[in-house]
Amino acid sequence: MTDLTYDKLKANFPDAVLGKETFRDETTITVDAAQLLKVSKFLRDDPELRFNLLLDVYGVDRRDLGASPRFATSYELYSIPHNRRVRIEAPLADPAENGKKDTLPAIDSVTGVWGTANWLERETYDLMGIEFKGHPWLHRILLPQNWVGHPLRKDYPIGGEPVNFTADRDNPRFAHLGKQIMDTPTFHSELEDMDAEGHLVVNMGPQHPATHGVLRLAVELDGERVISCKPEVGYLHSGFEKTGESKRYEKFIPYCDRLDYVSTMSNNLAYVLAVEKLMDVDVPKHAQYARVILVELQRIASHMVWLGTHAMDVSGTIHALLMYAFYWREQILDIFEMVCGARMTTSYFSVGGLRWALPGAFEDSVRHFLKGFPEVIKDFETMLTDNPVWRTRLEGVGVLTAEQAIDLGVTGPLLRAAGTGFDLRKAQPYSSYDEFDFDIPTATEADSYARYKVRMAELWQSMRIIEQGLAKLGKGPHRTADRKVALPPREEISTSMEALIHHFKLVTEGYKPPVGRLYGIAENPKGILGFGIISDGTANPYRLRVRGPSFVNLQATDLMARQGLLSDIVTVVGSIDIVLGEVDR
Amino acid sequence: MPADYLPILIMLVVAALFALVALIVPYYMGPRNPSTSKSDTYESGKLPFGTARRQVPIHYYMVAMLFMMFDIEVIFFYPWAVIFRQLKIFGLIEMGVFVAILLVGYVYIWKKGALEWD
Amino acid sequence: MDWIQTLLIPIVYSTILVVILLTGFAYLSYVERKLVARFTMRFGPNRAGPFGLLQPLADALKMMFKEELSPKNADLPVYLLAPFLAISTAVIGWAVFPFASRGFSVLGYSVPPVLADVNIGLLYVAAVTSIGSYAVVLAGWSSNNKYSLLGALRAGAQMVSYELPLGLTLVAVILVVGSMNMTEIIQYQLDHTWLIVLQPFAAIIFFIAGLAESNRSPFDLPETENELVSGYITEYGGIRFAAFFMGEYIHMITFGAIISILFLGGWSGPGADAVPFLGLVYFILKIALMIFMMIWVRASVPRVRYDQLMRFCWKFLMPLALLNLVVTAIVIAL
Repeated sequence: MTDLTYDKLKANFPDAVLGKETFRDETTITVDAAQLLKVSKFLRDDPELRFNLLLDVYGVDRRDLGASPRFATSYELYSIPHNRRVRIEAPLADPAENGKKDTLPAIDSVTGVWGTANWLERETYDLMGIEFKGHPWLHRILLPQNWVGHPLRKDYPIGGEPVNFTADRDNPRFAHLGKQIMDTPTFHSELEDMDAEGHLVVNMGPQHPATHGVLRLAVELDGERVISCKPEVGYLHSGFEKTGESKRYEKFIPYCDRLDYVSTMSNNLAYVLAVEKLMDVDVPKHAQYARVILVELQRIASHMVWLGTHAMDVSGTIHALLMYAFYWREQILDIFEMVCGARMTTSYFSVGGLRWALPGAFEDSVRHFLKGFPEVIKDFETMLTDNPVWRTRLEGVGVLTAEQAIDLGVTGPLLRAAGTGFDLRKAQPYSSYDEFDFDIPTATEADSYARYKVRMAELWQSMRIIEQGLAKLGKGPHRTADRKVALPPREEISTSMEALIHHFKLVTEGYKPPVGRLYGIAENPKGILGFGIISDGTANPYRLRVRGPSFVNLQATDLMARQGLLSDIVTVVGSIDIVLGEVDR
Repeated sequence: MPADYLPILIMLVVAALFALVALIVPYYMGPRNPSTSKSDTYESGKLPFGTARRQVPIHYYMVAMLFMMFDIEVIFFYPWAVIFRQLKIFGLIEMGVFVAILLVGYVYIWKKGALEWD
Repeated sequence: MDWIQTLLIPIVYSTILVVILLTGFAYLSYVERKLVARFTMRFGPNRAGPFGLLQPLADALKMMFKEELSPKNADLPVYLLAPFLAISTAVIGWAVFPFASRGFSVLGYSVPPVLADVNIGLLYVAAVTSIGSYAVVLAGWSSNNKYSLLGALRAGAQMVSYELPLGLTLVAVILVVGSMNMTEIIQYQLDHTWLIVLQPFAAIIFFIAGLAESNRSPFDLPETENELVSGYITEYGGIRFAAFFMGEYIHMITFGAIISILFLGGWSGPGADAVPFLGLVYFILKIALMIFMMIWVRASVPRVRYDQLMRFCWKFLMPLALLNLVVTAIVIAL
């Protein structure tokens, strides 16, 4: 099969393209770091390629892979017009090897090509220690500004550092950490390009009622008008990517629950799909349909959290809607509890299928939910859709056009509300989504009200999918028969020696995927969740990259909130629908 | 009659006394353990940046000015309204002129954009 | 023994009023929490005492025994003056409200149905209720906190703006009645009919502007927790915080009372003329109904944005109130 992307690149930049690798249908093109910028522009602008969406930027420390040079940055590209993906890799030598101890490996920044690279490159700089030349504002993003070292490098130890969990500036015992958090010189780093004299600069967050967890927004105000609004994240950073490198593939599934903790099933699915693709495992149809049903239920639950909190944030006082929305989310969580024993941290999907078979009452309880829920959506719609106050608060607020959204890598309902019917469930179906009949709700206004309408319409579509899923579900094995990844059934262990050996190997060693790399993406309620995995053939991933949709979407806050009023910030943040667990990872 | 207003004065004193007692007594009831962190200005858990005493945008001042003008005009309505029944048509015409002048100012500030917040 | 009549009775009278208002405030907070809870499928306070009835007491005690902090950058005298103003100005409006058809006499001294039956009652009420905005603005400015400052600016602009439609509707009422005396306003309604029938627009405008004046949802922008944490009371804690709370809730009661007197006939009702005590009951019931409406609005109407709030006032309520006034004048003159 000819590869158009590679051929065109090779033809146009013969000396920039260093090589090509294909693994599980995913192409990695290695590009000379010095010419990355040229290649990027070409990839974005060439009419036959049009890789307009930069999904992810991440660095890899290849010290233990035996590859040279030591570092590489990877760019996950997606072409929405041509529905095609490619990965660009640019190897980087480590200056430290040549005796330049304090110099970081450097590469050109692609922020000028894809706006979304801003935060992603900052994160790579922060965690991997790669410098991006020409980046508008290269500072640490997840770790404190005066952190020492770059944790994702292989020579950075896991654990061993004492951490004080109190930051009281008055207490001499905690003086150091207190200073680190509170008084660093870059403490007001976000304010550098703000006019603190002429305008009022206010912090919203981290300890603030409207910022959904520990998000900080530095807001520059002229009266009530927002001049700029800079989000600062990282308060909840817990090093998921580093942790993943020391955990077996299977053991990382519970960590996925802690990413976007209001859509755990969806996170599980995205991760499990990536590992399954890596291992080349087939999942039985029954399990695939069950996954679809559960993930769509999760989408409804996630949208309920969004709706309740958004309505409360915007209106301040409609607690009623919050309580109603949470009441119906509880119904879904009840189903989850019945399925797997947990309400929020489900970890229900395992590589190769479901962790346990569905309980007998599953279908009935889902049907019961489906019967009651349409009335509820109608209730919500009567309360909000034509409510004049609600409309004036949302219409025309936080406009993000499709072009801006794609440039900033914004996905999910935000992108669809801008008129782009881009949904991975349709574009690159996974888990048998291609067998389902559903529409992608879109709107064209691109404002907060359009996002509201899109999400409300998605509730109806999710219900359609669940209904079809129930019809298809039937009976069948709930996980693959491949004993290399899935535990054998209990009864088989007592009779078959081979089953016992598989069981022993899986429990003690875990499974070992082949050497290779891939980047699995799935459409989460909030946008595209991506898991990049580099396998070195051991039971632990060599590098595990997580792309949280909230993290990328949050970048658009500044653009959306500018020139609005102070109250609009709350609307904007609410309509992005963020979960800080996923932002900070 | 000024004597009519004596009860109001008494009420004022009583209310002020109650407020004073309510605000002073708890001061001696609660613990006192101040620290720099506690008495810092609250700004979402961050150190405050700059002072809050600064020039405020002209908008608010304009509202105050507009209020002054219109409120004084509204005050003129009060005595007029009380004796309106005696003034009859004369009062109506007089006030019609007054309202017309008021309206001119109102339309003027509207057109000038003083009522806009953008 | 004239001093008993002129001094002692007003002192006792106003003390009782203040005490009732202060306890009334506490139970109003309970009622509001219970009601909003029921509107949102919750139970509300139900731990302290039967049905949680002791909750306000527990809250009050907690507030009293809290440590009193003063922010180090605050302008202390003003910072302390603000809560004082909030409490004291909220209650003094009650001096001119008539509670029943006639008073009663104790030991030969007459206790009037209204503390001060002044002929500019309405003007007095309009004046003292608007002093409350001083408390808000001073609190916000003195705290030296940006949220407080923004809250105070909002409060200042909002409260003065809504004063105008409020004043204009009052003029319409005076126009109909021909007096600013509270007792005469009620008497007029006894003779004719409730003013809500004669002046429906004025009643609606007054209710809306009243919500804005007492910083009630959906016009509670000076203290929007979603943007300004707590607005002008961000830096207040303990009893000083409670003072603002008190002021706001007593404002609610006061507005309920004003609407009842102006538009719902005050104490009037079947049998209230013969049995003055019944009049008091009717009056309280009418206030309770108004307060219930305010809480209902809070539980169901989304909050507006600041510019929308101002636009609504200046470009809609103001002209409407003026129009109402002009039409009323023309109808009466002809």
